[in-house]
Amino acid sequence: MKISYNWIQEYLDFPLPPVTELVTAIGAQLGAVEEVVDYGAKYKGVVVARIVSCRLVEESDHLSVCLIDDGQVVPAVERNADGFVQVVCGAPNVREGLLVAWLPPGSVVPSSFDKQPFTLGARKLRGYMSNGMLASPQELALGDSHEGILEVDFECQPGADFGEIYKLNDFIIDIENKMFTHRPDCFGILGVAREIAGILGHSFNEPDWFATFTADLTPSGPVLPLQIRNDSPNLVPRFMAVALSAIEIKPSPIWQQALLCRVGVRPINNIVDTTNYFMYLTGQPLHAYDYDKVRGLDGAAVATLVARESAADDKLELLNGKAIEPRAGAVVIATASQVIGLAGVMGGASTEVDATTTSIILECATFEMYSIRRTSMTHGIFSEAVTRFNKGQSPYQNDRILIAAGRFICNAGSAEFASDLLDEAASTLQVNRFYTQQAKIDAAFITARLGLDLPVERVAALLSNVGFKVETVVVNQALSLQIQVPFWRTDIELREDIVEEVGRLYGFDKLPLELPTRVIAPALKNRMLELKAAIRTIMSRAGATEVLTYSFVAGALLAKVGQNQDQAYKITNALSPELQYYRQTLSPSLLEKVHPNNKAGYDQFALFELGKTHIVDSADPMIDGVPAEHDRLACVFAADLKAARGYDGAAYYQARHYLERLLQQLGLSAKVQLIPYNSSSLNDRDQTKISYYETSRSAMIQLGEYNLGIIGEYTATVRKALKLPDYCAGFELDVALLLEAAQISATYQPLPKFPKTGQDICLRVPATTPYQRVYDLVTGIVRDQYAEQSVISVTAIDVFQRPAEPDYKQITLRISLANYQRTLTDVEVSGLLDTIANQAAQVLSAERV
Amino acid sequence: MQYQFATIANTAEVLKNRLSSLEKKTDILRAVELKALYDELRLLPNDQKATFGAEVNALRQELTDLAIDNQPAAALPPIDVTAPFDTNSLPQHRPRLLPSEQGSIHPLMTELALVLDIFYRMGFTAVESREIDDDYHMFGALNFPENHPARDDYDTFMTEQTDSNGKQFIAPAHTSSMQHRILKQHQDQLANGVPIAAVIPGRVFRNEDLDARHEHTFYQVEGIYVAKGVHVGNLIATLKTFLQEYYGKALEVKTQPFYFPFTEPSFEFALSCPFCDQTGCSICSQSGWIELLGCGLIHPNVLSEAGIDPEVYTGFAWGFGIERLVMMKYGIEDIRHFEAAKLDFLRQFA
Repeated sequence: MKISYNWIQEYLDFPLPPVTELVTAIGAQLGAVEEVVDYGAKYKGVVVARIVSCRLVEESDHLSVCLIDDGQVVPAVERNADGFVQVVCGAPNVREGLLVAWLPPGSVVPSSFDKQPFTLGARKLRGYMSNGMLASPQELALGDSHEGILEVDFECQPGADFGEIYKLNDFIIDIENKMFTHRPDCFGILGVAREIAGILGHSFNEPDWFATFTADLTPSGPVLPLQIRNDSPNLVPRFMAVALSAIEIKPSPIWQQALLCRVGVRPINNIVDTTNYFMYLTGQPLHAYDYDKVRGLDGAAVATLVARESAADDKLELLNGKAIEPRAGAVVIATASQVIGLAGVMGGASTEVDATTTSIILECATFEMYSIRRTSMTHGIFSEAVTRFNKGQSPYQNDRILIAAGRFICNAGSAEFASDLLDEAASTLQVNRFYTQQAKIDAAFITARLGLDLPVERVAALLSNVGFKVETVVVNQALSLQIQVPFWRTDIELREDIVEEVGRLYGFDKLPLELPTRVIAPALKNRMLELKAAIRTIMSRAGATEVLTYSFVAGALLAKVGQNQDQAYKITNALSPELQYYRQTLSPSLLEKVHPNNKAGYDQFALFELGKTHIVDSADPMIDGVPAEHDRLACVFAADLKAARGYDGAAYYQARHYLERLLQQLGLSAKVQLIPYNSSSLNDRDQTKISYYETSRSAMIQLGEYNLGIIGEYTATVRKALKLPDYCAGFELDVALLLEAAQISATYQPLPKFPKTGQDICLRVPATTPYQRVYDLVTGIVRDQYAEQSVISVTAIDVFQRPAEPDYKQITLRISLANYQRTLTDVEVSGLLDTIANQAAQVLSAERV
Repeated sequence: MQYQFATIANTAEVLKNRLSSLEKKTDILRAVELKALYDELRLLPNDQKATFGAEVNALRQELTDLAIDNQPAAALPPIDVTAPFDTNSLPQHRPRLLPSEQGSIHPLMTELALVLDIFYRMGFTAVESREIDDDYHMFGALNFPENHPARDDYDTFMTEQTDSNGKQFIAPAHTSSMQHRILKQHQDQLANGVPIAAVIPGRVFRNEDLDARHEHTFYQVEGIYVAKGVHVGNLIATLKTFLQEYYGKALEVKTQPFYFPFTEPSFEFALSCPFCDQTGCSICSQSGWIELLGCGLIHPNVLSEAGIDPEVYTGFAWGFGIERLVMMKYGIEDIRHFEAAKLDFLRQFA
């Protein structure tokens, strides 16, 4: 919302503070200021001058040599003996006696000011010295007209400051629209001026035409037959119109054009400019129709305007030239036979006011804000009228604004009212009210909400400054305020709204600060966040890098990793195809980041991410009506060809090393098992979680009854599609399950006083025997024999396969024992190894080596 | 693919037949026959060059596609997934962790932890926000009527899938979507004199174009406090206390009226620039102030929707972004770095 400092001042009976001070006050007490433009800067040095003589240059068909009188206000310019300045001008309307805008040498052409400033000089044209130039409206940034020079229409002496006489020496303050979402009145200068008076501690005096008008109006000239009808009072709370005759279409006076230009509106003609002027002044959009066109469409003796909902075959060409079929349920304005406007959004071309117009119908209506918003969204039209109507303009302002606008047109020329003031309001509307709501509010309530004991007189003054009517009453010895709300304050619904007004007008920043009291009980911990923090610490200490990637992924990525798109929540208004689906697992996002980092020169790295995932699946039902969310951890290790030479064997084991490190640090390692799986036995939801793992090189991460997730290498297709190095593996697990599982606390074993003894055993087993079976058997036997009184550890030393014997492998384990009661003898331990060898031979067909 | 020029069509057939016999399929692109076609192109009259050239290039592309598609990615042999390391691996080449100094926690998460810790010490429990939610929690429960223009300020992503009311699910555009759940869950404790005090960190999403200052995905921290007699002075004091603790110095704060449907009154909240102490710097654009967050007293409709009597209890809420804090702290020039997963960026925080 662009507001003009000078325009605001017109409605205040006290001088505004300097603009910087005003902007600070607006920022603190009204809303965020986006920009302040020194509008006057571009008119610096533009002077009003009178043409004292003018003669055509002989060698030219259009150039004239003029002598101008500037009251000798411009210094350092070449003058003749009479003190006049010579300027050459090519405009057809240049003539003696004219008051014009002179751009003297050294001044900048206003229309070029914001782009590439063009500074004028003194130069010869056809041999005649021209000191600067006489400017056209276009050069003065006052519209598009470039056919002739601007003719000053303001009574003033030569030498007057052009910017000053038309109030162009202005500051334009742009206040964020969002601030006024619930303040339709602040989309007009009047509303903003009222607020500024309030925050500066002054009482605002409403202009008479707004406050104390009378709705009586009788045609002052010949009557034009006009009838209006409101067929949709629930969507059109108020529909008003009046006819005006003896209209002469011409440019508006320059002061009015200058004003519209300042707030960013292009001047068009006196009628359109006046509807815009009142819209910017009051927030209430108006529309003018060509009376004869409206009547002509029906071929009737009377012109008819109807506000109604759109019908199935309605068609309309808008003012912007676009042909539309109004959405079903949209409010349209129609004659008896045809639609002529998309109500509240944009007028139609068929009844447009143009140069031939001699009579008009001026309409001032109120439309239901939600309906306007829907129509605007459906048709993609975001006009200034929409901006105002969709905030909910008050239906009580229509009559006063319509009369004021009509009078403005009459006073500016020969126009006359040519009909009664027609008013079709919803039956529920009591049209003549000024105060539309009442509230009784205890002084104590205001004090409690603000944390400040403000005297009631002060509260009353703050509110009445901006138009509330306030009386103090005592009920049951408690001080109360009886507050009447003026009609334009459609935002005031609750007592809290009144408190906000008081606080704002007083100044929230002046309120005393006080921390809330708190109870001594500790705030509850969030164990999930604690676990995630622990995971971050463990993983980063293990050399892994935490990454964050988007929650949305491309359909192409899902296809590359073999995930089912139908199982992904799909964004219908995605920014790009890259961000079309909610991810079902985290790993694909990480895999996508491997190649770019390889390319960036990182030969090996581990990436991990903690994030949320979502899967569309019947096995994953809604929780409280919203999709289940899964907190997951994913990790990927990758090494390029060269770096991978530092590791023997499969990348799987490197991922496993990271997983074991994490689980061990979380106190879980002893209970976790990695078990091979058969993907065909899994349900759809689990399938999509593992689709990209190579079954023969992956394992389920199992903790008791919990399947925490999966670890492994990626299928050949995935590796190729995502340009993964061969040495690449990772894991992904469910953090919520981990949290449940992590309840099992880590165990500690006291240190024995007696020395530790260790021996290795090497078993030759068929190559297909899983290591885990050998390990479990050995561990089981050791535990059986040395149950309580010993500390036991069994660790892998080697897994070896002779190239010549591909059907067998040798597993070497180190058994370390320490007893709490005594020193274990070598003989005893040798006996244990024999037992192991015997059992391994029976159970695993193993041979001790 | 049909080739018009006979020489090209013949060469195409010859080369395609040869493809199956090649060990390395991409070698086909180095075939002398293909090179010969390019040589021939140079000798052609100018009027034929364009069409002939286009066909040769098309052939080259066809062969490239065939060569690459025919190259199978090597399926790797099965392994014993139960073993701690691979068969025949030497001890010095067995799995091991990368050096600790290469590891890093994401700077946003580090900062978030710092922020949550301060609020935890101030008595606020943290609750993570959701990444997919419904219309009711995003708008309805927060006093946004259907079709209200205030909804226009939140360019939300919607899903094809719908909730039980037939409304599209939403990628939340603010962490406020958690307010209703938390208020409802803890309303009973108010009667026992225990305030509701929670901070809500989480990912939020806005349908806006990316540039150095705008991301469609970012992190917010929401806060809510509800008890008896809570007023605006409490809100400002709480946020000021947090910010002074966070920046480790005394600060000035100021408010600016704002509009959110779910708070009344609503504010934008600014602090005196902690980087230059209001002497003017590039971080505060020489203004001395940094606008950081939105806040306000919780709207009575939001409280009653959650079953809390607004006549008895009042509260405040706020929300701010984490990226901004981190960008200002380190002088990060582009918000898009955060979710780009570039080691060049992330390892600077190791």
